[in-house]
Parts: sequence; structure tokens; C-alpha cells
Amino acid sequence: MSVTTASYVARRAAQKERVCTLYRRALKDTLNWAVHRHLFYSDADALREKFEANKHVEDIELIDRMIAAGEATYNKWRHPDPYIVPWAPGGSKFCRNPTPPPGIEIIHNYGMEERE
Amino acid sequence: MASALRSAILRHIRVPVTHSLALNGSRLASARSMSSHGDDHLDKQTVIDRVLDVVKSFPKVDPSKVTPDVHFQKDLGLDSLDNVEIVMALEEEFKLEIPDKEADKIDSCHLAIEYIHNHPMAS
Repeated sequence: MSVTTASYVARRAAQKERVCTLYRRALKDTLNWAVHRHLFYSDADALREKFEANKHVEDIELIDRMIAAGEATYNKWRHPDPYIVPWAPGGSKFCRNPTPPPGIEIIHNYGMEERE
Repeated sequence: MASALRSAILRHIRVPVTHSLALNGSRLASARSMSSHGDDHLDKQTVIDRVLDVVKSFPKVDPSKVTPDVHFQKDLGLDSLDNVEIVMALEEEFKLEIPDKEADKIDSCHLAIEYIHNHPMAS
């Protein structure tokens, strides 16, 4: 009995994590799709309502199926060109201007010393 | 092509000997950093103030309850989805991109402050 309880608890915890990750990704995607900030707020509320609607579902198999359906919907409507923070992989400043290693001095006026 | 580029770059770079490094120490310190980011670290108090501002402005939170050690779900009565929203608000405030696994673990003001303070790209 305790083994089944433990596995049940573990499965519920995994489901909770999956839902949180799905909500996080979907919320970010909502922001990607929203052209203006004020459009995002209502979309985010609608998304939250979709998650809240199934808050009290207890059937563990049903929850699994719902999460799978949610992830499928998310993948279907994923933004093709999402916003990426500039320094992050895929961002516009990724790997640009890395800090030079310590002890290296870069001469800015190279070749123009005699003009000074 | 690669060797030409390499020599072109190397011609503009000089590794000073330690003696001249010591001489130019003050000038080096005041020189502009070549990196376009990562050199403007936030101090702890700024991070704390801005994190608390974000948490206080969350609609479901009672601003008077917010302290630097507060736990989002235990102390503020939020649920896990609110937690996700707060972390996303913090990401936007500090221009961060927090991986999903790490974002899951941030569940209190204290952890958020530690994470952001130690993040090299927070600004």
C-alpha cells in the first residue's frame, strides 16, 4: 500500500512540475503573440482561466491526458520567432563582444600615436 | 583567411609585461571595458529593492507582508501558477532568461534575490 501511495505522490509531483513548466512556456508564448502589452493582459487572463478550470481534477490518468493535450496545443501554436533575451543563446547579442581575458590590453589608438 | 584574420587581430593586441602593468594600473582600472555587457553588476541592495517592488506590485499580494525572506506560497498565500507569473515578472524586470528547471526552484524572495544577485547578466 505504501509503495502505491509513494508512487502516487511522486507522480502527482511530476505532474505538478509539468503543469508549471507548461504554464510558464504558454505564458511566455502569449507575450510573444501579443502585439501590444495591453493585449497580453487579457490573453494571459484567458490562459490562466483555462488552467484554473481544471484545478480540482483528481483522476491521475485524466490529468496526464489533459497535460498531454495542453502540450500538444502549445506546440501547435508556438510562436515561430519568439523574443529571446539578447545575450541568451539565439539572441541578437549572443557571443558578441566577449570580455577579453585578464592581462590583455587593447590599444585603441594603434597607428595614430604620433598625432597625439 | 583565418591566419590573416588572426594576425590582423594580434597586431592590435599587446600583452604588457607585469612591470608596465603595475605602472599603468590606475589607467587600466579606469579604462572602458571592452565588453558590452557583464560589467555592470548590481549591488545587493538594488536587487533587494527591485525584487520587492516587483513582488509588491503583484495584484494578489498584500504589500505590507512582503519582506526579503518571504516565501511566495507559504507566506503570501499564492499558488504555483502565481509563482510562475512572479518569476516571469522578475525575468522581465532584470532582463534575464531563466531556464525552466531553475525557474521552478525559485519559490521565495530570498532565493530570487540570491539568484539574481549572482547572475552575471542581471541588469
